Amino acid sequence: MKTRKNIIYSIFIIISFTPYLYLFYDFKKVKFSVDNLVGFYPIYGFLACVGLIIFAKLLGLVLKKDEDFYD
Amino acid sequence: MIDFISYPVSYLVLGAIAIFLRPKFANTIGILSIISSMLCLSIVSDSQVLNYQIMSFNNVFYQISDLSFLFCIVFLTIGLFGKIFSIYRENCNEKGYVLLYIASALGVVLSGDFLTLYVFWEAMAITSTFVIWSTRNQLSLDSGNRYIILHLIGGLILLVGLIGLYGQTYDLTIREISLNTWYSWFILIGLLLNAGAPPFSQWIPDAYPEGSYSSSVFLSAYTTKTAVYVLIITFAGNSILIYIGIYMILYGIVYALLENDIRRILSYSIVNQVGFMIVGIGIGTELAINGTSAHAFSHIIYKGLLLMSAGSVLYITGKRKCTDVGGLYKTMPITAACGIIGAFAISAFPFTSGFISKSMIVESSYIEGLEIIWYFLLIGSAGVFLHAGIKFPWFVFFHRDKKLEATDPPIFMLIPMVSLSFICIMIGIFPNLLYILLPYSVDYIPYTGNHVVSQLHLLLFSGLAFFMALKYLERTLTITLDIDYLYRRKYTFIMLIFSKIVYYFVSILENLKQTKINKKLYLIENTLLNQSSISVMLSVITIIIILVFLLNI
Repeated sequence: MKTRKNIIYSIFIIISFTPYLYLFYDFKKVKFSVDNLVGFYPIYGFLACVGLIIFAKLLGLVLKKDEDFYD
Repeated sequence: MIDFISYPVSYLVLGAIAIFLRPKFANTIGILSIISSMLCLSIVSDSQVLNYQIMSFNNVFYQISDLSFLFCIVFLTIGLFGKIFSIYRENCNEKGYVLLYIASALGVVLSGDFLTLYVFWEAMAITSTFVIWSTRNQLSLDSGNRYIILHLIGGLILLVGLIGLYGQTYDLTIREISLNTWYSWFILIGLLLNAGAPPFSQWIPDAYPEGSYSSSVFLSAYTTKTAVYVLIITFAGNSILIYIGIYMILYGIVYALLENDIRRILSYSIVNQVGFMIVGIGIGTELAINGTSAHAFSHIIYKGLLLMSAGSVLYITGKRKCTDVGGLYKTMPITAACGIIGAFAISAFPFTSGFISKSMIVESSYIEGLEIIWYFLLIGSAGVFLHAGIKFPWFVFFHRDKKLEATDPPIFMLIPMVSLSFICIMIGIFPNLLYILLPYSVDYIPYTGNHVVSQLHLLLFSGLAFFMALKYLERTLTITLDIDYLYRRKYTFIMLIFSKIVYYFVSILENLKQTKINKKLYLIENTLLNQSSISVMLSVITIIIILVFLLNI
């Protein structure tokens, strides 16, 4: 589990630089109202993944069966 | 005679026959026939049309457009690299079946009328089943059996639709079909079944991982992508496809998150990626169709790469489950590097092939102002990284070191992997290499600040979510139920309904089995007749389909 913590720390370090990416982002070219917001993509991506994982876990409670289920 | 020389499919069929006659030279014959087919494709002029009059139909075997040329090129490319990858595979029959499978997929793409398309379509179902059966174990026999029955039913639905089309219009040329007649729905359903659309998406992860370590590379490339090709021509711009595609995107992600088998994870991600293509077809603008074709191209390349690295792990360690492997990056560094490049390409990291193709589909929904669709595509983009982009390399090459004895696979397995990684990155850096092949002219620039920044943000935070939730993503020794529960599990609701009919048919089949069966037919006897309950149940469904058809007439 030590590696996992290290990875999370290193991802945090990378992420701390991501605000600078907005230097390359042209807010005038956007079409929908949401992608005008600073931090829309990161927050949306994060929440989408957490949502998918939770949904998959809940579905797994119902649908997961032992490997020899069909035998 | 000159016709056969200018028809690329004939080289592959000849090659397959030669392999069955001289199995000793299977590798050389396979590679040479694919190369000559490639040469033929590039030499024969675009305007040539090959047609034969069979019965009263004008069968167009060879009619090439920009779109079919793109698909032919990528089919033959992955075929060539797959052939090199499977050099060490000892089962020579498999190599012959693979050539026939490629030939029939190519035949579908090159055909100019629906009748020729249908013949090759069915040939594809049969040859791919033989490719699956070539693994020669009980699992592959069973799943190949389910696979072919489902595909024959799909083919039957398509045939019913085509008969309707001919009955109403007396014209079988491949063309756009509007969805306002009953037969067009039959055609659509028949095509979508091959694309892995709901509710039968499940056949992809059921059948493909049962191929051998080398044959799953071929299986992943052809069936679904020919369906995508035909859908582009016939049903582009029907908004119902958008919703089907979005379902497939989410289905692929959620089921892949629950899965333990390495190649089954990758198969679920085929459903997911084809979902993106179906959405692109549903949007139907020039940009979307370009994006779909480009995505099919790059998808075939990086999916082949991913399945090759998974196949190498299977070849070297003999393990196929995430729970059995881990920490392989130390012992299999080149395989790990190639797998990671493939994983980055599928999750559309900037400077990989996935980025320049998928962003076209996402951008087309953005330009068309389909806001809700765009939100779902973003969820899909983040989710791809979650289930294929990190999950696959993490659980296979990193995670807990299982101290498995392993080395990188031999040289002829490494060459195709390294070459495909190279292609993934080359297309990513120089997108025009791919864009010049697309059916419409491209004025799309992938590397704008907005595209790159938004994609990087999505992916980085998706990665963060993965590692924060890693505890909940630990693999378990389980399978996940799907629609196949209805016909795999004995004594379920449907089984009980059909049990009497099954009993009747089984008795006929039992009589059949008592007749002397040639030893060479052992395979067919073992699969089709022993699993008669499934086949009979599904044949009852086909009878229902025919009844519906007759009522419509």
